[in-house]
Formats: sequence, C-alpha cells, structure tokens
Amino acid sequence: MNHSQAVVLGEMPSLSKLYVNAAASAARRRLLGASSGKKRLPAVSHEVRGVRADVENLTAYQHLVGETASDTLPAGYVHSLAFPVSMSVMNREDFPLPLLGMIHLRNRIEQLVPIQFDQELDVRSWAENLAGHRAGTQLDVVSEVRAGSSEDLLWRGVSTYLAKGVFLPGIDKPGSPHGATGASEFVPPDPTALWQLNLDAGRNYAAVSGDFNPIHLSVLSAKALGLRGSIAHGMYLASRALADVGAVKAESFAWNVTFEAPVFLPARVALDITTVQADSGNWERSDYVAWNPRSGRRHFTGTVAALT
Amino acid sequence: MAAADVTTDGPLESATHPQTTRSAVIVGGNRIPFARTGGAYVKSSNQDMLTAALDGLIARFGLQDERIGEVAAGAVLKHSRDFNLTREAVLGSALSPETPAYDLQQACATGLETVIGLSNKIKLGQIDSGIAGGVDSASDAPIAVSEGLRDILLDLNRAKTTVQKLKIIGRIRPKDLAPDAPNTGEPRTGLSMGEHQALTTAQWKISREAQDELAYNSHRNLASAYQRGFFDDLITPYRGLNQDSNLRADTTLEKLSTLKPVFGKNLGSEATMTAGNSTPLTDGASTVLLATEEWADAHGLPKLATVLDGEAAAVDFVHGKDGLLMAPVFAVPRLLARHGLTFEDIDFFEIHEAFAGTVLSTLAAWEDEEFGRTRLGLGGALGKVDRAKLNINGSSLAAGHPFAATGGRIVASLAKMLHEKGMVDGRPARGLISVCAAGGQGVVAILEAA
Repeated sequence: MNHSQAVVLGEMPSLSKLYVNAAASAARRRLLGASSGKKRLPAVSHEVRGVRADVENLTAYQHLVGETASDTLPAGYVHSLAFPVSMSVMNREDFPLPLLGMIHLRNRIEQLVPIQFDQELDVRSWAENLAGHRAGTQLDVVSEVRAGSSEDLLWRGVSTYLAKGVFLPGIDKPGSPHGATGASEFVPPDPTALWQLNLDAGRNYAAVSGDFNPIHLSVLSAKALGLRGSIAHGMYLASRALADVGAVKAESFAWNVTFEAPVFLPARVALDITTVQADSGNWERSDYVAWNPRSGRRHFTGTVAALT
Repeated sequence: MAAADVTTDGPLESATHPQTTRSAVIVGGNRIPFARTGGAYVKSSNQDMLTAALDGLIARFGLQDERIGEVAAGAVLKHSRDFNLTREAVLGSALSPETPAYDLQQACATGLETVIGLSNKIKLGQIDSGIAGGVDSASDAPIAVSEGLRDILLDLNRAKTTVQKLKIIGRIRPKDLAPDAPNTGEPRTGLSMGEHQALTTAQWKISREAQDELAYNSHRNLASAYQRGFFDDLITPYRGLNQDSNLRADTTLEKLSTLKPVFGKNLGSEATMTAGNSTPLTDGASTVLLATEEWADAHGLPKLATVLDGEAAAVDFVHGKDGLLMAPVFAVPRLLARHGLTFEDIDFFEIHEAFAGTVLSTLAAWEDEEFGRTRLGLGGALGKVDRAKLNINGSSLAAGHPFAATGGRIVASLAKMLHEKGMVDGRPARGLISVCAAGGQGVVAILEAA
C-alpha cells in the first residue's frame, strides 16, 4: 500500500466532529444506496505533529484502567492519543468503508520505548491491507508515534477492523472460515480476576479516551446502531488486562489482543493471566484470556510479550 | 549472623547487650518534589505518589525484581479503602511482588517512625533490607459522609424489607448530606494545629521577626541546596515538577514581614504567625532504603549513615500543661542521655519546621534553665543549638510538609549530609532529627555517618 503521500493536519481532529460526520455519511449511504463504488484505500497518511498528553486526562485514564498514575504513558493511552488521527483517515471522502458500525477485530501495539507524559509526539496514521473476511471486509489502520520532529519510532499500533456485511467488488472472501472451531472448544480456566463492569463503563472510558462511539454510550444509542445493548470498548478491556499484567513487564513490549464476543454492559468478566518466564528467570510474556463467567463464552485473548 | 547470637542469649540478656545487634545503614533515599496543595499533583492519589517515589528509589539502586525484607510507609490523610496502601504501592512497583509491606500511622511522625521501626527489625536480624516511607495528599483528601448519614446507611444495609428500607431512607435530612472533610483540628480541643502553636509561640514569647528570619533561612538554604545539586540523587521529578513548588528562592525578610497573621489573632498578645512562617498544605511522598552493611555491600550500594537510635515522647497538651507540638523537647534529652551525648556531640540538627514558632519554642525550652530543672529533670538548661548547624539545607517551611512524607525527606537528606561530613574529631558525624506530631506526640532520632 502506498501511503507515502502525507497530509499534515494543523491540529488534532475532533473526534466528536468525526463521529457526526460519520453518522451523516452513514445516512447518506442509506439514502443513496450502499456502495460508494470505491474499492481502494486512500493512498495517504494523516499526520499531526507536536501532540502532548493532557496530564489531568492522563491521570483519569490511568485511574480508570487500573494503572498507577506514573509519568510514563500507558501503551493504551498512546492508542487513544493516536485514535483521532486514525479516525480522520477512515473518515475521508475516499475511504471505501462505512466508519460507523465497524468492528474492532484485533489490535497489536509495540511499545518500543517508554514515552513520558511531557514528551512532544508526532502521530501518523494510514490504512492498509484491505481484505475479504467471511463476514464482510477488513482492513488495518496503522499508527506510528515518533518523538517530536525526529525519526525515532516510539510506539506502533495496528488496529484491524471489520466492516460487517460490506462486500466490495473485486475483493474475495477467504475460503474456509477458521478460528471459529477454536472458540467453541474453549474451556474456561480458573480466573485470576473478576471484573464488575457497570452500565457506565462505556461512558467512563469514552470520557477519558474521547471515543464517543454511540455503541458504547447507552442502550438506546447502541440499539440505534443495531446492537441489543451498549458494549464495553475493546481497548478499555485490553487496557485493563495490560494494567493487570502490571509492572513485571519489560520497558519494550508487544501487546496483542484478539476480540471475540463483545461485552454487553453491565457485565461480569472473568480474566486469567498466565505469566511465562524465560530460563533466566526474567519475564518473557503474559498471556491473558477473558470470558463471560456465566456462559463461558470467550470475550478476548491476548499476550503482552517482551520485545528484544 | 549477629541475630542468631541475640536469640541464643535469651530475650532478657539480649536487651542488656545492645552491642551484639547489627547496625542498620541508610543506603539512600528518593522522594518526589513536594507540591503545594491543588498544584501539580492535584489528581494524584497517595498510592500514585508513593509508587512514584518508590519506583524512583528502585531505579536509583537497581532494585527491580528484588525481594525487600519489608516495606513500611503510611499516610496521615488516608482513605479507608487504602488500608493496604503500602502493599498496593509495592504491587504497583517494580519490586518483587513477594515483598511484604505494612502501613503505619503516627500523624506527622509517621515517616520517621517507619525508619526507626524498620531499622530496629534490621538490627534484630529479622530483615536484611527495608524501605521506609510516607506520603500525603491534601489535594486528594478523603471526604467522609456525615455521622448522621453514615448511621442511616449502615441501618439501611441491615434492613431486610422494602418497607424497612423506605422508613430508613425517610430519616435522611439535608444536613446529613454535608460531607465531613478532614481538618488539622485536635479532636479534644477543637483548636487547629496553628491555633495550638500560637498559644505555645506566645507562651515562649517568640517574636515575629525571629519566626520570619527562620522562614527566610529555610527558603535560602533549600534554594542553595538545589543550586549546588544536593538533591540530584535524592529526588526524581513527577508530573513535571523538578523541585518543591513551595520554594521561594527570591523571598526576602521584607516580603515575609508584610504578610498578615493567620493564627493567634484572638490571643491577648500580638499575633505573629503568618502563612510565610507556617508550612502550607502540601502533596508528596518520600522513601528511604535501609539495610545491613552486608546487604549493602553485597548489592554494591553505598552506606551513607546508620540509624543509631530513636525515641518517642508525648505531652499532656489537652489542658495546656505543654504545647501541642512540644513533645520532642522531652524526647531529645532522653535520647541523648541514653547515649551519653550532649548538643556538643551533634553536628547537624534537623528540627521539622511545622511552624517557625515550633522550632523556636523548642529551642527556647532547651535553653531555659528553669524548664531544664523542673520539667526535664536536668541540672539546668539542656543546651543551646548552634544555629549554623540547624536545618542547613532547608526544611518544611520552604520544602512544604506532606505530613507522613516529611520523615523520609529529612532522613535521606541528613544521611547524605553525614556521609559528606564523614568523621568529626575522630568520631562519626552525628545528626539529630526532631519531628513533632498531632496529638501532642513527637519522635526523634540520631543518625551517624557510616
């Protein structure tokens, strides 16, 4: 994918405006028919320079996801810093898929170097890997965070999203669906933690992350988008798991999460974290899995692993 | 190990042979800069700040994944959910999660008492390493519900039927909804700490000028300590602060003299205590690494000073026999006597500046012949503290005073000063710490250069 053409935005895009814009274009699609006819991702990246964390917002984020309010930005917080830039890419006129209702399938973050809260950062995002999925069309949105005005890559995130039910001409579905069989065989282990998520979990995370996607805010707004109730943000759940892994992790790490069944609010979520040590005794990685303690349905799985 | 000798000697004998115990050395310390309340740490909790101070200490001395013998810390303004504050901070830090911890609370003496308690455990052979500390946030102070509402909520919890519950809810009156914020008032007298000190300040006839001069020296000394880099290996920045935000390097005696009195305004004598010569409410945290000499050597870490001994005292302040913050006046002569020392044998005096008036009243009591005879049971005055040895790198008036964090600040700074001083007349340099506390208490300690 050619994303060499960089559009430098003058300021951090407003997520609320992006969501309003996305809602308007969703309505337009509904009126004018589904397909925009575009089947390629925009060959540009969006960039915002000189981004800085707001310390009060950072502290609120840290407290909400269970991190200590240290001066180092949690990897999930960097994701929320970069999120408006990614959203602005997906909100472009020439973006081929509807932004609203997009499902977060997977996320991979590499925290290469710890980032301090007062560092100036350049954030660049683009979309790539448009591909068929048995339930629609998927793509990767890549974000890279560098130390201000330098080429030093500090953080890299790849979010894989699915536009459910959207099939673009010329992009084939993959052959046999895989992974579904693995999910059905899941036998819940004994949990290491049990989370009680209230109805306001979505609103609370929206307040600190800025991600006011209506599917997370209330039963009503979620129903308007075809869900039976509001669901927790995937990155909120993954960030809590990352916080639960705790200070044992190395300074540089890769953090993966694969989302399966959404967590409808309110909810109890069972979590198991397994720590794997290298022969040296040093921490190598922590694997986590979360499930619904009543139904045994798996919500998400992931790993936090040392980067060497 | 020496500890084994102690236990085989039997408890009675071991108590009479303190020389058989090991010494507890101060390896170093770390704190975050102290911030005036409502400032840089406004949203940070006690746990956040204690963890930040702890993580800085861990980084400085390479303690990642280290199982420390025990960590002891505390906070004065503490939410009930923080019952395991120190253990939670340990779990959130890079220390081994197999490091035990306990909370301690002795008002403003909390920090110093954690140092004494852990050094005693080290001396007794119970642990080889320990981290002492303290934290306080006046910004993120716990707010309790009123007694009336608390009573109703507890009844509600016990109620079984809906009718019972509705009846109980019906008892709530608007006045019950007023929150109950912590304050510095003494429960038995209703007087704030400042008002109590104003009584003592007047009793000892401490002048406004003397108090302002002490405050001025505190700022000047702290500023010059920062300037020559004294705190470079004692502090890690947090939330954008690199030094104590209360420090006014450019303050002058003239500026201090223009401030209006805030305490003691209704006493018969002139009111002399201002915001300038009283400590402000502050947020912050401090930690101190203690160990046996062997542990420090095995880890390739410095040995700055040893904790020689500590002493606690309390005064009957409730009906005014002594001032609220005067307990150290009694603790110090007892501690000195136990070691056969006088003020001549002390090279640094670290007297916590709760108020300038506290320090000056304490010094005045020690200089008073009659007080020495009648109250301290001495032949005369305890002695005169050489001002050139008093709080030479600044103290709480300039740095601020996050209650439980002050002890750790003083111990780490004094240990470094003693190490720099080394030997004096063929003996290790000695420092005396004196910390007053609410409830008419005081804790004092002597450190020696290692």
